[in-house]
Amino acid sequence: MNPTLTVLIYSSVAAVTGGIGSLPLAFRSSPPTRWLGWANALAAGTMLGVAYVLSASEPGARAWELAAGSIVGVLFVHGVQRAAGTLSLDLNRLEQEEAVYGYKVLLATALHAASEGVAIGAAMLVNLPLGIFMALAIALHNIPEGLALAAVLRAQGLTLGHAASLTVAANLNQVLFAVVTFALAQAAPGLLPWALGVAVGSLVQIVMTDLFSHAYRQDGHTSVALAAVSALGMVVLLSGG
Amino acid sequence: MTDGMNPSLLVFLYGLATALATGLGAIPFLWMRSVERRGAALANAVAAGLMLGACFGLVSEGSGYGRWQTVAGGLLGVLFILATQRILAGREPSVADVADEAGARKVLLMIVVMTVHSFAEGVAVGAAFGGGVALGGIITVAIAVHNIPEGLAISAVMRPRGASVASCALWSVVSSLPQPVMAVPAYLFVESFRPALPWALGFAAGAMFFMVFQELLPDAYEDAPRPQVGLVTSLTLVAMVLFQRSL
Repeated sequence: MNPTLTVLIYSSVAAVTGGIGSLPLAFRSSPPTRWLGWANALAAGTMLGVAYVLSASEPGARAWELAAGSIVGVLFVHGVQRAAGTLSLDLNRLEQEEAVYGYKVLLATALHAASEGVAIGAAMLVNLPLGIFMALAIALHNIPEGLALAAVLRAQGLTLGHAASLTVAANLNQVLFAVVTFALAQAAPGLLPWALGVAVGSLVQIVMTDLFSHAYRQDGHTSVALAAVSALGMVVLLSGG
Repeated sequence: MTDGMNPSLLVFLYGLATALATGLGAIPFLWMRSVERRGAALANAVAAGLMLGACFGLVSEGSGYGRWQTVAGGLLGVLFILATQRILAGREPSVADVADEAGARKVLLMIVVMTVHSFAEGVAVGAAFGGGVALGGIITVAIAVHNIPEGLAISAVMRPRGASVASCALWSVVSSLPQPVMAVPAYLFVESFRPALPWALGFAAGAMFFMVFQELLPDAYEDAPRPQVGLVTSLTLVAMVLFQRSL
């Protein structure tokens, strides 16, 4: 199969699974806060696991390029969060809010998806099994993330179907970023360590600013820690298999 | 190991260094009576980033010997922490109590509690040395830095009650002394029984990941603005990961 097509297919799968996360809302239109805590903790654990797998993936890559890329990734996400006004925004408010709140939450999700796209694209270039693993891990990660987002959108008065489609739509730029990262790094292999670094840095920054900070306010510290460490362990266990 | 020195002694000295680092937490009290909560929270954020980066190193080293054994060891590490928390629940005398009236029984109980607390950290140092001196050094640094806010917390309780800075530092160091003591048997165990190495590395990683997720990160988010905690933790984490790769 054409490698770019492979990237396209797998990153699309990863983007679409966000919609699955809205399914529990068919039973409870306004989920208990605890559910959101678990969802955020699971999303944080898988994402941290993904960052670990990426950071350990290319033993030959030059450390300083990875380093520079990671710092760029952290600062880039920080900068975008600041510019978008989501840096210290509570992303999981379930009360009726102004419409602009819903847009900001969608924007934050789109930013997550962009970083995930870079991760998939870069991993595909390291080798195909790693890329497929990365896409599936991110697909898994998108399910709890989708639950939290859909819950917010439902609280804004959207129907379940509408919330689910918006959740998928907010993740779609993942496909674009995956394909572009793959194509660029394929054309200029020197970019690969940079792309890996940017992916690691931006994923870590998202975990630390958006996912954990919310989880701790929604559920007890011990159950957040358990959910996160289980998800992380699962990703490590399945990596490179 | 390094030339000349007995490896067990080296592991003991590294473990001792992590314990001594706890005493550094008393230093800010030389010029202030109480510590700013935000400062303590950011210290926790730095410690969290370093510990997470060190855990990545443990998992990566352990996976080289056996991936599922590492993950299974991690599960044991998490269960160990949970079990000790359950057993010790409600029975933890604070350092301040002991400093007030040093009843022999209380001191004994506290030593038991501290030993259990520092057990996983000591095992981490010892097991890491089983994976090589470089990994051992990395884990030592991460745990040493993680100990500083712990010393800060102990001193923050004792200092306002009139304890001298020296005794704050002393009690802080004492609270981590089980670390060098635990590190040596852990090291000897993985050295003499190599198949246990990925289990031990995983055990250490699981326990440390769990401590970061359960205590360090939530403490940091509670007392400092989220953007600052996020940025500090992320930057220390990636710096730690890349530092290990460049070795």
